[in-house]
Amino acid sequence: MSSKTLVSLCRKNSSATPRRTLATVSPSIPVSHQKPKIKPTLLTSIILNRSPILTPTPTPFERAYYSYQARLRRALSNPFPYDFYFKQGSILETRFTLEERRRERISFGRQFGIADDLDAEKAAANKAAAEQLAEQEGERDELMPRVHPSDEARDYKSLDRKGRRNLYLLLEAKEGVWRFPQGDVKKGELLHQSAQRDLLAECGERMDTWIVSRNPVGHYKLPKKSSTAKDEIAFFYKAHILAGQVQPNLETVKDFAWLTKQEIESRVPQHYWFGVKDILSDH
Amino acid sequence: MPLPRQPTELGRFGRAPYIRRRLPADIRRKLPRPPVNLRTREYAPCRLGDHYHSTLADNLMYMNYTHTVESSLPPKPDREIRLRWDPANPYSKYRKNEPVGGKRFAEMATEPNTPANIIRLEAVQMHIMIKEAITSRMHLLGVIAALRALSGETEAGGGALAKGVKGVEIVRGKKQVGGWIRSGVPVGAKVTLKGSAMYDLIACLTEFVLPRLREFHGIPMAAPVSGPNAYLPASSNAVKPSDVTGVVSFGLPPEAMSYWPQIEVNQDAYPRMYGMHLHFITNAVGVGAQERARALVSGFQIPFLRKS
Repeated sequence: MSSKTLVSLCRKNSSATPRRTLATVSPSIPVSHQKPKIKPTLLTSIILNRSPILTPTPTPFERAYYSYQARLRRALSNPFPYDFYFKQGSILETRFTLEERRRERISFGRQFGIADDLDAEKAAANKAAAEQLAEQEGERDELMPRVHPSDEARDYKSLDRKGRRNLYLLLEAKEGVWRFPQGDVKKGELLHQSAQRDLLAECGERMDTWIVSRNPVGHYKLPKKSSTAKDEIAFFYKAHILAGQVQPNLETVKDFAWLTKQEIESRVPQHYWFGVKDILSDH
Repeated sequence: MPLPRQPTELGRFGRAPYIRRRLPADIRRKLPRPPVNLRTREYAPCRLGDHYHSTLADNLMYMNYTHTVESSLPPKPDREIRLRWDPANPYSKYRKNEPVGGKRFAEMATEPNTPANIIRLEAVQMHIMIKEAITSRMHLLGVIAALRALSGETEAGGGALAKGVKGVEIVRGKKQVGGWIRSGVPVGAKVTLKGSAMYDLIACLTEFVLPRLREFHGIPMAAPVSGPNAYLPASSNAVKPSDVTGVVSFGLPPEAMSYWPQIEVNQDAYPRMYGMHLHFITNAVGVGAQERARALVSGFQIPFLRKS
């Protein structure tokens, strides 16, 4: 019935309008009179990360495990080829032998790593020569501590704090709310270009940064300021700071801080925290 | 029977346990044979391994992620790149189920990106070929000594070796090529490293060797097959199997050998310096595996340079 009706309808109208072939004939689409949906305002936000600069501290279990494995390895290792690496009787060889004996004693106990057939005078001379050589080469320098002065001073602006953790840049806006650096997307601008521009606008140009990808790492819908206000959606981009330091734009930003994931939780509003917590690293 | 004394701190042993029964002796080595297969594991924290887990893995997961929009329709099945082996089909019943090879291999789809299969470094292989070894096997001695010094791998040193690690191996010719090589003739040596030994090698390479090379701007990469810088028209579709296996390979000149600290201390002990090939073996396969593997390797501060 329908096809017949359609054909007859076409025939009827053919006098008024130019005839259309089957490929282009289409039922008329009803024009909707609904109001077009209001587009949300887009924002880009940058999660600027300082990667760990120190290795994590091993747990007591890890230390015991590594110690056991190191001893096992030492016990099973092939003998060291002294002749291949050292000139016979050289101070370098003497020093290495002394160090090696000390390592043996530490590993397996006092009955190991004892010098055989050597008189006391010769042993003392060897020790003195090896110590002098070590001093000349500056091997007496002490290791740097794993806790930086900025940790003790609670300096949240230092990039050297919390060397074992991932740090993230958080800004305090004029209104007193802590958030990540963010800004508007201009018309015709791509999101990743906007992210780059907004980062420089809020944090200054005195730093080297690298935005990891052109794709956002997450998004967050801001709570509405009023019932009639437009929706606001922030897209997050991950970036790394490679050198330099933040110089915040004082027109929009009051303060800044480099914080770990746990420290961020205590500063930002709860709604914001649930939006960003899965983007941040636990390391 | 005295109990083993408890250690006073975590990093030390107590007294060794009392041996109740004599261990069987190994006649050849004249040593007691332990009742278990002793294998040493990681014996120190690994700096580059930690760097991978805390920084690189996150970034690689994020960079390689392809977003798919959720849809109510069932996902489109992957394109069948050849006939599947089917015992019910009389055509394929008595035929071999050959692995996908050649050009089709390069069209293998990648697995979806999940936290479980983030690209990671599986092994690093060092390989030295020495042509003179064809005429005299004596020339291999220097190569083996150099690889042993570089990798720290010796025969059965440090207990049984980890899975896939075989120490320094001799490489023999595979094919008969007139005027160049014969099959079965030893022509070089190689060593495969995994775990912390692999990361130590990379640290040595990027901190001692590469910075001291003259006229070195980065590992040269071939120009891309497609895109604006393509060296071939896009229609030629010249995808090589090496593009999809996730292995990053490059060579070092003989001059670079003297910059390794393991060789530098007694460079005179070796008959000459050798050039070598390094292969970084990752778990990436399929389309785009080469780019993903390079992104991973460059995360360990090995620079790459695009040939324009």
